[in-house]
Amino acid sequence: MEESALKLALHEAGYVAEAGLVTTLWFAQALERPVLLEGDAGVGKSAVGGAMARVLGRRLVRLQCYEGLDLPQAVYEWNYGRQLLAIRLHEQDRSGISEHDLFSQEYLLERPLLAAMASDAPVVLLIDEIDRADEAFEAFLLEALADFQITIPEIGTIRARHRPLVVLTSNATRELSDALRRRCLYHYLDYPSPEREIAIVRTTLPDAESRLVEEGVEFVQRLRREDLQKTPGIAETLDWIRALHHLKLKALPEDPESILRTLSCLLKTRDDRFQMSAEHVRRLADGRDTGVAVSSA
Amino acid sequence: MEAQPLQAIAGFASYLRDAGFAVGVAEQRSMVSAALILSPADYQRLEAGWRSLVCRDATTWHRFPEVFRSYWFPDRLTGQVRVSGHTRPRRDLRDAVAALHRSMATDAERAATPGDAQVGGEQPADSAPPVERAQGGASRTEALEQRDFTRWLPQDLGRLERLVEAIAQQLRRRLLRRRKRDNQGQRLDLRGTLRASLKTGGIPFEPAWHARRRERPRVFVLVDVSRSMETHAQLFLRISRAFVGALDARVFVFHTKLAEVTPLLRRDSGRIQEKVNAVTAGFGGGTRIASSLGEFLDVHARRSMTRASRVFILSDGFDSDPDEDLRRQLWRIRRRGARIYWLHPTIERPPSAAVTNAADLVDAFAPVHNLESLDRVRLLVE
Repeated sequence: MEESALKLALHEAGYVAEAGLVTTLWFAQALERPVLLEGDAGVGKSAVGGAMARVLGRRLVRLQCYEGLDLPQAVYEWNYGRQLLAIRLHEQDRSGISEHDLFSQEYLLERPLLAAMASDAPVVLLIDEIDRADEAFEAFLLEALADFQITIPEIGTIRARHRPLVVLTSNATRELSDALRRRCLYHYLDYPSPEREIAIVRTTLPDAESRLVEEGVEFVQRLRREDLQKTPGIAETLDWIRALHHLKLKALPEDPESILRTLSCLLKTRDDRFQMSAEHVRRLADGRDTGVAVSSA
Repeated sequence: MEAQPLQAIAGFASYLRDAGFAVGVAEQRSMVSAALILSPADYQRLEAGWRSLVCRDATTWHRFPEVFRSYWFPDRLTGQVRVSGHTRPRRDLRDAVAALHRSMATDAERAATPGDAQVGGEQPADSAPPVERAQGGASRTEALEQRDFTRWLPQDLGRLERLVEAIAQQLRRRLLRRRKRDNQGQRLDLRGTLRASLKTGGIPFEPAWHARRRERPRVFVLVDVSRSMETHAQLFLRISRAFVGALDARVFVFHTKLAEVTPLLRRDSGRIQEKVNAVTAGFGGGTRIASSLGEFLDVHARRSMTRASRVFILSDGFDSDPDEDLRRQLWRIRRRGARIYWLHPTIERPPSAAVTNAADLVDAFAPVHNLESLDRVRLLVE
């Protein structure tokens, strides 16, 4: 697929991608390399995996990483319950069961990584929030991503029939190893430009008034320049404008108090909500620089 | 250029290495592959492609466009001081890509030996084209010669590292409520034990244990390398390197701009030290502490600044930003719960208005002008 066609297809799949990201995804396919997407929460990293799956017509296999994620949860596990049951059943009818039969594909529970490797059709493998997984798991992933094969001692080595398109995301809460980074194409996803964010909102909420979308996005863009503990992402912008649209608004309300009441969609911590006054909101809506309040420590 | 397209890309790879990018032979090979899968007319897309190939983190990601343009399109950069006196070598990305395609096509026709098309293999990792090397950097070479490396004896360096080790000991790991699997742990992990017992038919042959997590403090060191700090920058960079070794600290240097130098400090070789000095030698003039702190918070430590963070600022406190800006930026650090330690080369606390105005936000000031004074820092940190 040509790059311009990929951009169009992503747009049709509901993902408005910047030119640089489209090039990176195109290179990832051409060079068969995993993509590592880094950026703040809510900038649309995980959505890339889903969009690419829709564009390529592939199944999306998702591995959500978390602290303590281990191989039985990420790669494969023997179905011990079924194995015990099979032993008991064969004991009853005295037919017996061989160890070879007991450790066969039938009793293997495929977890996301193995599912992606063993799939008959090519898939998109989304490894979400890799920075939350332990370093030991990251080291294992290095091997898996280098050779696209997994060894199960009882069965043998399973090699991927089709190389999956691998998309890794990270919120940069932990420094990833240089070895993992070297194996991937890297792309840093920043908050979108006003034009791109307006396009995203229009794609997702086609019924919302044009003026509401533009004013809403401009407000969020200015809000992002404030010193917030949790900067609102694209998901928050969509939630907020969807909420305003449900309130049958055609533009941002003139009254800052009315805006303030809806800011729970954008501000997600107590401190952020606390520092936002009606005056502050009015300045943001007017497009003026608000400065940052400095309290004495 | 026409005759040696691979050397043109190798030259850019070398330039990237000099700029602090981790570009090895594998990356160089991938850069050529990327150039080959694009048609010559699409050479402009190479910037995005090479960016994703050679960048490893947000810092290098943001720096790449400037480095790319300064190599391939120096004429498009404005406001750059040209001090080298050399005529800029002509570099044309379009020509290089087209020549690369042509040479590959010719090679295929001739069925030439693979040695002709080696990518970076014959070129030593750190070698660079002879003339391009001096790009905008006459001051760089001069700086290396002017630097005095003989001030430090090996035993002084060893002592410095021991002193920083003592500070690291003082910054104890914080005990968290959350637990992690630990075979040496004192408490039975019931869930883990039950899970492990499944493979032995429910009999817990392998009990699992867990212990409380300990969090290491995240240490950030910001070194002022402006002209007023010129005589102290060497000592402070040595201290910073010891911090990297002992605490895995992230080190930044600043004057009117901010740059991370942690990767350079991790590798303990004379060449790397020269590069750190080259970076600092290129600096000079005024100091913008508040702006640098702002950039540090917004770009480099946006997510990693927590209450477990310790920020060491090594500066004489002379700031050309408005006085109240420094207070604002220090308050932003304190607001995240981090602690701030200000190490200054003067015996007294920095007398500048900016520092005086923000003194209550700094956890401790400490003079560091020799090894003895560094020893006293241990008593201040926690």
